[in-house]
Formats: sequence, C-alpha cells, structure tokens
Amino acid sequence: MTLGDILKESWLSISGNKLRSFLTVLGIIIGVMAVVIMVAVGETVQLSITDQFSSLGTNTIVIRAGAARRGGIRSGNRNTLTIQDAEQIQKLPDVMSITPAQSGSAQVIYGNKNWSTMMLGAHPDYTVIQDIEMTHGTFFDMTAVKNASTYAVIGPDTARELGLPDNPVGEIIRIQNMPFVVIGVMKARGDSSFGSQDDMIIIPITTLKKRLQGSPFPDSVTMVALKIYQDADNAVVTDQISALLRQRHRIKDGDEDDFQITDMKQIMETMDTVTGYLKLLLIAIAAVSLLVGSIGIMNMMLVSVVERTREIGIRKAVGARERIIIIQFLSESVLISFIGSMFGLVFGVGLSQGIGRFILKYNVPFSIWPVILSVSVAVIVGLASGVMPAFRAAKLNPIDSLRYE
Amino acid sequence: MTNQVNIINLKKICKIFPLEIGGEQQVLFDISFTIQSGEFVAIMGPSGSGKSTCMNIIGALDSATSGTYELYGKDITTLSPDDLATIRNEYIGFVFQNFNLLPKRNILDNVMLPLMYRGIDVNDRIRRAREMLKLVGLENFESYLPTQLSGGMKQRVAIARALSGNPKLILADEPTGSLDSKMGNEILKFFKKLNTDMGITIVIITHEFDIAQYAKRVIHIYDGRITYDGAVPKNETVLLKSQKESHK
Repeated sequence: MTLGDILKESWLSISGNKLRSFLTVLGIIIGVMAVVIMVAVGETVQLSITDQFSSLGTNTIVIRAGAARRGGIRSGNRNTLTIQDAEQIQKLPDVMSITPAQSGSAQVIYGNKNWSTMMLGAHPDYTVIQDIEMTHGTFFDMTAVKNASTYAVIGPDTARELGLPDNPVGEIIRIQNMPFVVIGVMKARGDSSFGSQDDMIIIPITTLKKRLQGSPFPDSVTMVALKIYQDADNAVVTDQISALLRQRHRIKDGDEDDFQITDMKQIMETMDTVTGYLKLLLIAIAAVSLLVGSIGIMNMMLVSVVERTREIGIRKAVGARERIIIIQFLSESVLISFIGSMFGLVFGVGLSQGIGRFILKYNVPFSIWPVILSVSVAVIVGLASGVMPAFRAAKLNPIDSLRYE
Repeated sequence: MTNQVNIINLKKICKIFPLEIGGEQQVLFDISFTIQSGEFVAIMGPSGSGKSTCMNIIGALDSATSGTYELYGKDITTLSPDDLATIRNEYIGFVFQNFNLLPKRNILDNVMLPLMYRGIDVNDRIRRAREMLKLVGLENFESYLPTQLSGGMKQRVAIARALSGNPKLILADEPTGSLDSKMGNEILKFFKKLNTDMGITIVIITHEFDIAQYAKRVIHIYDGRITYDGAVPKNETVLLKSQKESHK
C-alpha cells in the first residue's frame, strides 16, 4: 500500500461524510486560527510597546528633580536639579550626551494664528538623545544656549497649525509675546504613548529659564536626560549618577534621594516581561480551543470506527494487516487536522492582519514560527487523537466485524 | 487428477468459545478432512451445526482451539493476526452472503482492494481488476457504486474481487442467500464454470441441499462433527440419515 493509496483512502473516507468532517475540521480551523491570531496580536502589542520605548533609546537615562514619593505624593516641583549637576554628570566616562531640560506649555502666535503647545528648554545634545532629524534649518548650538538666544526649533505639526510657510526658517513667531526666530523644523516622528512628538517647540534652556520664566533659580531644571555609550552598563551608570548627585546635594546616608532616576532599559525589560506573560496567556487560551478541536477529531474517529466496523472487517478479510488499519485511521485524523490547520492558518493570518491594520493601527509582523507551531501542533493533535480509535479499529475481530449490522 | 495437491488439511480441529454468561461452549469436535486442488466442495449443515465456524477457520479468519490446519502445506494453526491477514490475501478469495462490498467505493476500487493490500502497482491493479470485471460480465460498470447494482451483480463483483488476487481457493459462505433463485443459479453456474474451466478450488458453505448439488463433494457437519464426507448423494435423505446415525 503506497502513500498515495493511504492518502486516497483517507480522503475518500473524509469526503464520504462531508457534514461531519466539516464540523470536525471547523474545530481545528478555529483552534489554529485562534493560536495564529493570539500570537500575532500578542507580538504586535509587545512590538508596539518596545518600539515606543526604543524611540527613546534603551541607553537613555532620565533624572527628574524631587523625591520619588513622599507620603504618597510625588514632589517633583522642587528645584533640586541644576545645570551644574548635568555638567558634572557629563564628566562620567560612560556618558555620551546630556541635556538639562525643563518643559512647560506655551502660547505661540504667528500672524493671526494662535496655538497652544508644549515647550521644552534643552541643550543641543537633546537631538542626539532623542535622535532628532531636521527637515529645514538647524538645531541651535551651545552659543545660543550661552547667549540665551531667542531661537526656536519647531515640530512639523506646530508649523502646520501656525500656518507657517513650507520653509519657515527665519520666520518670527511670538512665544508668550516674546519674538523668536524659527531656525529649524524637526522631521515628523509620529505619535507615541508619551504624546505627540511633532507638536512642540524647543528653545535653549537658558532662554526658557531666564527670558521666558524669569526664574529666581535660573540654573535649576526639572529634568536631566542623558544617553550613555552602547557598551556601557545602565545599572553601573545609574549607580554612579546616584552617588554623584547624593554627594553634590549633600544627602546623608539613610536619607531619601531628592531626585529620581529612570532607566529606559529597565522599564523596557519590565514591559517586555509583562507583555511576554500577556502573550503566553493569549496562547494558552488559544491552545485550549485547539485542544477542544482535537477532542472533536477523536470523537469523530471513535464514531467512525463503530460505523465502519463492517468496512474494517471487509478490509481485514481481504488482507489488510493491523498496521495498515492503524495507518489508515491515523492518516485520516492527521489529514483532517492538516486541512483544518491550513484553513485556520489562512484565516488566522488574514484576520490578524485585519486586526492589526484596522484595530491596533499597527503593521502585524508575519512570523513563520506560529505557522510551523500551529501546523505541527495540529498534526500532532491529529496523530494523538487518532491513536486510540486507530488501535481500536485494528484490534477488531474480522469475524465479528463482518457480522456487524 | 494426477497433479492434485492438498490445499486444505484439517487434523482434529476443535473450537471452544467462552460464553459471556460464564463457562464455554465447544462447537467443533475433532474435525479432520483434506481438500485437494481443483475440488468443488460443499460444506453442509443446519443452522448452529458449526459449519460457519469451520469456514472461519478454513478462511484463516479465526484460529482453532486445538488441532492443526495446513493450508497449501503450511501450518497456519498458530499464526499471528497479521500473518493470517497475509495468508488470506495471498491464498483465499471470499464470497459472502451479504456481498460485503465497500459501499462508498466504486466497483473497480472494490475489486482492486486485495491487490492494494498486496502492494501491487496501481496500473497492474487496474488492469487485473478490469480483467476480472470482464470475466464476470461487468466491464461496463466499473465506476458504479455497489448501491447502484442488483444483488446478482453485487455478488458477481464480490466474485471478481475474490478472483482478483489469483487465489488458490474460493470460500463462499451462503453465496446465494441474498439472491432470488434465478440469480442464485446463475452465480452457482459461474462457480462451476470457474471450477471446471479454470481449475479453481471452491468451497461453498450452505444449508441447502439444492446448492450442494452443484458441488462434487459434500462434507456434512452436524453438532460440530462430520457426519458425511463423500460424493454428492442423489437426495438429502443420505445426509439426514448420517445426521441421525451420529446420535447413536
């Protein structure tokens, strides 16, 4: 008996009872489809979160002024961080770029257009830390910082909302009624979970502190962001910064920090673990539906053995050995699983792409491993659920089988 | 008759069945006979006489509890189920009362079935099955399903299937039981033709004396014992007398 004979016999048996075979196949289709969709959705969620964090860079460390929490309330408005702190941190060997920063909202006017947006005071290194590219003009340099120049770098959305010309470099805008020269427009970066990065204005930190805010503490900042070298260890640098700042801020042993260090790598690792568990949970739910599908196959095959008792007797009478009967029944259940898994795969990939495009608004990556996994699991499920019925069929006594009504 | 060889050689065959309610029942007692190639034998007996059990053992569908069974000189008494399957495939062609065709396979597939299990090439299978269908006069029906055929045609398909494997022996269990007398006679004539023209050994199991008359030899079984073994008598009385004698 050749492989072709086995497949032909299996196909004829399956197609001989179309409705029942269809319902059985449906169980596997739903099971495999669920696995493919759940894996794809899980991966997409994981990837989109990773992407958002990656846009900030895993080698980015952010220091915020104020203790992490005090009596349950974060006291972040204390002016505990200074531009001098940033200058000292820059001297650490692993620090590549650093910027002190402070944000606030700004009312911006251009011509007769009035727009409220986020404003950030920073150093030129901000472009390195945030991987900022320009479409027009340039970012301000350290001379502008030293001189507290009224230069503004704007996001593409801000430029659009203000009705600035296509190349707005050299245009004058008014921020809190102070005229600023637009010296550059940033390249669009899209939205992130931290808000739009395209609707903001960046000006020198000194301009923000001295000119716009007229702060009595012009050197204090709410935040210091820095990027370390790729081969540097985030934890080591974090410890070094912590030690340096505690010493500079004269914090006694046992006292709480008056700053908070956020390590993007650590956050990303935590998010990765959380989304990993989420993915596992989704796969586990999908696996249950695949298991239910496999029980459907076993049920069908067991019924089939009873219904086809006489057929088995005939086959045995004309010379079918037990092994052949086992192979035939196993191949039927595997074929059902295989057909089901193929349809499940097609529907699963199609639906997950649809979910990605229309619901998650994200390109769902097509990875081969759920394909291999679900098809192999389906084939194994088919084999496993066919074993008992196949052996039951093979062990039937030919005489009793031939007499079976 | 010079080239005749023993095809079937039963020596002191006993068969005991366990009963579901406990205990056991012996249905065959020391059955011994030989059948030579080219013979046409009817194994006769009333219902419950043990003739079907005898046929199952001859057909390698069942094993004897004791005694020995040689088929074509080979002792098959203690073979495994798989070895018995191979023996059935190579040596025996079955024709059953209720045809036992696969209902969802066409006629050609049904006839090819024993050849598939023998591992014969597809093209050779088809060629051989078509030859057999032509032999039984059904060459134009190969794509039909068994349900589309009359009883007589179904039995001819069953004969074609039995012959397709080129067996040494055809075992027919009440082959006319599901047919009307006209169809039944046609089938029996066909068996006779196979026996005389092609020299195929035929063993028919029946409880009807009319059918046994087509054979050359009758083995009469009653209560699990052989009461008559010889040429077909002119009337059934001889067999009934032998049955009565066995009680003494």
